[in-house]
Order: sequence, then C-alpha cells, then structure tokens
Amino acid sequence: MSIDFISDEQREALQEVANIGMGQAGASIAQVLGEFVELSIPQIRAVAAAEIPAALAALAGDGVASAVRQAFIGELRGEAIVIFSEHSAHDLAELLCYGDALDTPASRELLLDIGNVLVGACLGGIAGLLQTEIGFSAPSLLADQVATRQLIQAETIAARCALLVEVRFGLEKRAFRCHLVMLMPDDAVAALQRALDRFIEEL
Amino acid sequence: MNPPAPSAASPALLESLVERIDVGVFAVDRDATIALWNRFMAVHSGKSSAEVLGQNLFAVFPELPRPWLQKKLESVFVLGNSAFTLWELRPYLFRFPHTRPITGGLDLMRQNVTFLPLRVSGGSVSLVCGTVFDYTDTAMAHARLQDAIAALSKEKDAQRELIGKLEAAQNQLLQSEKMASIGQLAAGVAHEINNPVGFVNSNLQSLKRYCEQMLSLIAAYQSAEAQISDAALLSTITALKQALDIEFLQEDLPALIKESEDGLVRIKKIVEDLKDFSHVDESDWQHADLNAGLDSTLNVVWNEVKYKARVEKNYGTLPAVACLAAQLNQVFMNLIINAAQSLDQAQGMGTITLSTGHQDDWVWVEVQDTGRGMSEDVKRRIFEPFFTTKPVGQGTGLGMSVSYNIVQKHHGRIEIDSAPGQGTRFRVWVPVRQTGEAAP
Repeated sequence: MSIDFISDEQREALQEVANIGMGQAGASIAQVLGEFVELSIPQIRAVAAAEIPAALAALAGDGVASAVRQAFIGELRGEAIVIFSEHSAHDLAELLCYGDALDTPASRELLLDIGNVLVGACLGGIAGLLQTEIGFSAPSLLADQVATRQLIQAETIAARCALLVEVRFGLEKRAFRCHLVMLMPDDAVAALQRALDRFIEEL
Repeated sequence: MNPPAPSAASPALLESLVERIDVGVFAVDRDATIALWNRFMAVHSGKSSAEVLGQNLFAVFPELPRPWLQKKLESVFVLGNSAFTLWELRPYLFRFPHTRPITGGLDLMRQNVTFLPLRVSGGSVSLVCGTVFDYTDTAMAHARLQDAIAALSKEKDAQRELIGKLEAAQNQLLQSEKMASIGQLAAGVAHEINNPVGFVNSNLQSLKRYCEQMLSLIAAYQSAEAQISDAALLSTITALKQALDIEFLQEDLPALIKESEDGLVRIKKIVEDLKDFSHVDESDWQHADLNAGLDSTLNVVWNEVKYKARVEKNYGTLPAVACLAAQLNQVFMNLIINAAQSLDQAQGMGTITLSTGHQDDWVWVEVQDTGRGMSEDVKRRIFEPFFTTKPVGQGTGLGMSVSYNIVQKHHGRIEIDSAPGQGTRFRVWVPVRQTGEAAP
C-alpha cells in the first residue's frame, strides 16, 4: 500500500523531521542510559489495519517477543509500540538501576520504563521540531512473551489504516535491540499534515 | 498548542487547591531537594511540609529505592517527559499506612505515581513534580476479582477433567458393548454351526463304517478273481480296475475320511473356544480355570499370531479363580495381539511366551514378547484412553485402557516390564477370591 494519505512533499518533510528527531533522541537517551545509542533511519509507510500484526511480526522476527504500548496525545495523536525480542531488555536492568534478581513484576516494570524513555525521547523530539505540544499516557504492557504473530490482534484495531514510523534501537556495547513503532490512525493524519505544512512553510 | 495563559485564578487559590487536593503532590529539584509537599503527603507520611521542605528526599525517606528512583527522576529532567510507576508492578513508592485501620485490607497504600517535568522559567526542566494516587481500593477489588477468577478457572479445570472421565467411561462402555455383541454374535454363530456339524459328524461316522464294509467286500471279490474262467469277463474287470486305479482308491478313501474327521474335530474345537471366549451364558462372576481361558483366547487370535511368532507356554497349576472369565479373556486377547503387533517382522519369527503362576492368594498370567519394547513415555501413557502407538486405523487406543479397568474390577493389577529393543512383559495379577467371598 502506498502512502496515499500524505503528499510526497509532506512525506519528505516527515522523513526529515523523523531523522533529526531521532538524532536528538539518541543524544538524550545516551545521557539517561550513559551508553552510546544506535538508531536506524526511520522507515515510514502506510499499512491497512489488517496488516499491522504482520508488520509488527516482521519487525520482531521469529520467536517470542514482548511489547509495550503508550498513547501520545495532543495535536498529534496515536499510539507508540515498543517491541522487545525475548529477554533482550534484561540487558538494560543495570543501566536503569534495577537489582540483579528480576522477578516478573520487576522485569515488566523494566520494559515499561525502557518503553517510556524511548517513546518520550523520540516522539518528544518529533513534536518539538513540529512545534506542537505532545503528552503521553502511562505505558502499559501489550504483550508479554508471546509469539511475534500475536503481539496485537487485528480484530482489536479500531482504525482502518495507519501511518507507521519504525525505528530500530540498539546499544553499541550490548545485545539489546528493540523496535519503536509510531502508529497514527487515518483520522489523525490530517493534524499531522497541518503540522508538516507549517514546518515546510517555515523552512 | 499555545502555552496556557497566566491563570486568572489568584495564586492563593491555586496554592490552596494544590494543598487541599486529594492527591499526593510533591516536587523535587535536580538534587532531590523537596520543593513542594502538599497536605495529602503530610497526612499520610506523618511529616509536615515544614519538616521536609528544603530537605533531601532520600534523607527524609531512606526506605525509598534510591538508585532506581534517582535514575527515574534524572530521565524526567533530561528528556522532559513524564515517567510513571504502576501499583500492579510496584505496589507503592512511599510506605504509607493504609486507610482502613478498622475494616482491614492491604498492609500499605497502593499507589500510582506520575513524575511530571516542570519548567518553571521556561527552557529546561527545573523541578519534577510527583503526583501520588491512592489505588488501594482498586487493588483490593482487583485481588477479589483475581480470587474469583482463580476459583472459576479451578472449577472449570475440575469440570474439564470430569468431562474427560465421562468421555473415557462412555468410550469404554461402547467398547465393552461392542465386545459383548461380538461375543453374542460369536456364540450365535457357534450355536448355528453346532447343528450341521453334529449331523455331518454322525453321517461321516456311518460313511466311514460303510466304506470299510464296502472295501472289505471288494477285497473279498478281488481275492476271488483267480476263480473266474470267463476270459472276456476277466479282461473287462481288469480294464475297469485299471481305469479306476482301484489300488489308489482303496488307499485314499480311508485317508480322506480321516482328514474330514480331523477337520470336524477342529471345527468343534473352534466353536467351543468361541463359546468359551464369549461366555455368553455366564456374564456373572464364576470360578474359572485361567489356563483354559488363556488357551481358548490364543485359539481365537491364532490367525494374528501364527505367522509372526512361536508361542511358548509355561503354565503353572492354578486354582479356580473368581472372575468374569469373558472379560479376563478380553484382557489376555489384548495382551497377545499387542505382543504379536510389537514384533518386527523384518527380524523373522519372534517368540511370545505365555506363563501363569500362583503365589499366596494371587494368580498371575504373563504375556512376554521379544518385540520392540516401549519407551518410558509410552509406558507412562499406555493405559490412557485413545493412546496408541499403532498406525491410524490399526488401533483404537482403547484396548489397554479397557484391560486396565477390567483388571481393576477384579481388584488386581498389571505390571509392565519393558525397555526399547528389549521386548515387553505384562503380568496380570488377580486375587483368587474376591473380597466378601469365603475361602473354600
């Protein structure tokens, strides 16, 4: 499916904003974690609702994964999902000052904390560039150690289609890898278009 | 979105709102020095704002998880985004006593805490404001709900188990009904065959006697041939004798009759075995000779066995055993058929050894084979209904489970001795007398 609900010019602007935003986010995450962060170039595409589970599974690869979701609210609204492949998040326990022995609640809280930091930094960065206020809900666990195909159920998705922005995260010295996906429902894309148009005018 | 306009409400009003709102509100600067402490916090912590303002948060509350919380506050200062703790994962941040000293409940207040970045003079974050929400009631309701769900799912498991048992029982019922009707059919067929076999046998005895008489007459005639002087008659007789091959006929006739007699004996034996096996007239408890039962069972399944195995018998002397003979025969049949099917035909003829014995008040019947043997997993599951190692269509997976139940009904037990590649030995133990039955 092509991105037919934003123009080519808007798409380029979004790519630009996302690139810069990720750069800034990488710097501030590195400041919080105290380690160098690797961020991929954001990939932007539109997906139909029914394709979202498969798209997430394709990012996470085979096997088992967990996911954290967090809503972003404001002029831009939607949900961000952070996908962790099996146990990879344990690698970060030390960086966020968790104890050595992670019981189930603690390892879930760790996922939420990491998700909150990544989502806040990346989406906050994009919102800052687009000069719009953005707020976040408390993060919650979407899936805990399930097959990647079952991270999200297609039936539960209310939107018809969504704009998907995907970034891969890693830490230079660690095995930890995760994916951040920003999903905006089709009916919220108009606000994004307005914000992008403002951004283009000011260039 | 524009930053909120300076409030029309007076600072005094806002201050009073923060002070009185029924949510914990506090703020710390980057060094964790407390800059705001509302009444909710004062009431629940027992420390007034006068006591804590200007103090370090971790000095006032040494029980706080310091490295973790410092990291969390730092992330809010650096990223300028909110951070959260949820009661479900971290029951509380501050050790506040619960609000139900009388009616009881949880030991400490359950809390959701949100850490908000505050930019007092625009630009970077200068304070982090914590809002503490009391989730104790929610947590209690949640716990009750969890208990209810656990109870329900336990009940559901018990029901599922019962349904499983019901299904197994129903299948066993079907199986035993099937066996019973096969038994009835067999007995009916046996009965029907008995009549014609009776008159064929009787006629054959007469036929045998007549033949002997005819042959002795012919022998007498033959010895009188020398007395015949009519050359034409003699040559006719000689030609006829040659054409009929009379010598062969005289020899073969008794042999044919003997073979037919043997055949009849075998038919009678099979019919008897069928009747024994099904015990159609005797569905009640009886005292039976298990060696005889084992023999008649072996005859019934002989076709399954004869091309695959030699059968060795090693019978002890057994007392008559109180049993449902037809049902025990069904157990022996299952064991013998399984033994035959476990033999690998590529390895030539196997051996099935049938042994019986007697020890104290128990008798045992053993079926041993030189077949493939069973793994631990198979041994563990062998009595489960529908468990089968046979190809689809060959086994119902009910034989052993039905056998198990039959032996249980006799208050007996089945012992298994088997290992892969080592063959299998099943030993069925049954008591000579059932409880409540007087010793003879």
